[in-house]
Amino acid sequence: MTDNQQVPFGSGMFQGQAKFVDYAHMNQQDVQMNTLDEPVLDTLLRDINMILYKLSYVIIPRMKETQGRKLRNWDLWGPLLLSLLLAMTLGINSNQSSDSIFGTIFIIMWGGSAVITVNAKLLGGQVSFFQSVCVLGYCVFPINIAAVLITFLQSYLGFFLRLIIVGAAFLWSTFSSLSFMSSMMNEEKKVISVYPIFLFYMFLSWFCIFI
Amino acid sequence: MQNYGSNNDLDEKGQVMTDQPKIKVKFEPKPKPSACPICTIEYYQKFFDIEQRDVYMRVRCSLLSWKPEFQQCVAKNPDLWGPLWISTTIIFILFAGGNLSRFLLEEDKKHFQYEYNYMYVAVFLVYAMAFVIPIILGFIMKYILKSELGVFDVVCMYGYSLSVYIFVLILCIIPYNEAQWFFLMSGLANSTIFLLVNLWDFMKKSKPTLMIAIPIIVFNVALILCFKFYFFRLIYAVDD
Repeated sequence: MTDNQQVPFGSGMFQGQAKFVDYAHMNQQDVQMNTLDEPVLDTLLRDINMILYKLSYVIIPRMKETQGRKLRNWDLWGPLLLSLLLAMTLGINSNQSSDSIFGTIFIIMWGGSAVITVNAKLLGGQVSFFQSVCVLGYCVFPINIAAVLITFLQSYLGFFLRLIIVGAAFLWSTFSSLSFMSSMMNEEKKVISVYPIFLFYMFLSWFCIFI
Repeated sequence: MQNYGSNNDLDEKGQVMTDQPKIKVKFEPKPKPSACPICTIEYYQKFFDIEQRDVYMRVRCSLLSWKPEFQQCVAKNPDLWGPLWISTTIIFILFAGGNLSRFLLEEDKKHFQYEYNYMYVAVFLVYAMAFVIPIILGFIMKYILKSELGVFDVVCMYGYSLSVYIFVLILCIIPYNEAQWFFLMSGLANSTIFLLVNLWDFMKKSKPTLMIAIPIIVFNVALILCFKFYFFRLIYAVDD
């Protein structure tokens, strides 16, 4: 089939353009990037850039839905790193049973994200499972910051200061994930799909107060 | 000219008919009949067909427990959203509030030890009360006592009956004995009255169905005793 050939079909005509791909004589631009051949540093840097880009979305929550389009490329590296960081921070500080707290945080974070996503899907939201788990995982970042702050400034912070820091982190996390999650749901179901997220971040933030 | 295919038939005169074909083939993937219908996600979809307005009405029905309006509120559409998230909220309040109550009583606030066991016990207790017990009771009611209520109706009712404990347990953080007992007793009364009033139509039929009130009351009392003697056991000591 050459360019612009017309092919009759039924009562009409197919009109198309065809491009001949010569695998034998390809030049550099035509070859699709084969990620197995690139140096390891390139792969790592690309992934790290992706994680940092998504974290910037969490830090500055953007309410406009269109700006969140790049968040659709979900990845689970970010949530994994953040959950490890949070579990380790809380585990180091707890005086007893630090391995059980590590496991508990992990289960709450991943299990909680899964349950919230299933809840949103059952309520009729058009949300992809891994996208939602990815967003919920990334939005734990402010709680991570609060946990690390409290760890380093432990002796200087009384109960009320900790409450304020953790409260601010909780509100920040919830607000970040709100714009993504509530845009997926109908108007009448927004509150009942957002309430579990609120509970989830409150659960995680509460662990940070008493370390 | 080669004709690569034809969607249209020729009529009697041999001319191409340009009408749309009358039979449309609809391509719909047939849902696979699963061996275990209860195990699929699609089975539970019908229990999440509610809006926030419905949840608000049902919680309101349960808080005004003396009016037997819950079945009208539910209107043959029992949901699982309520039982699931109300019980999870109660678990959080037990865990956070129980530890907060201990923290307020601790003299040595710098070396406060977090009691992580509260969470595991709370999960076990609350999910047993919200799901295991109503499922058993529902099965007994439906298959032995022949009630019209389904198992999921009973689960829904039990779930919403726990909604009063959200407010009660927040108030129980106040570490005074009399206050805690007062709040827990009023929560117990509200929750039990809600269950009994809404099941009264079923219970008044005969003596065996009346006996169902006994396990309902016993489990509710056991629940608040666990709340008081495990999560909120510390109170200000009174000097003699």
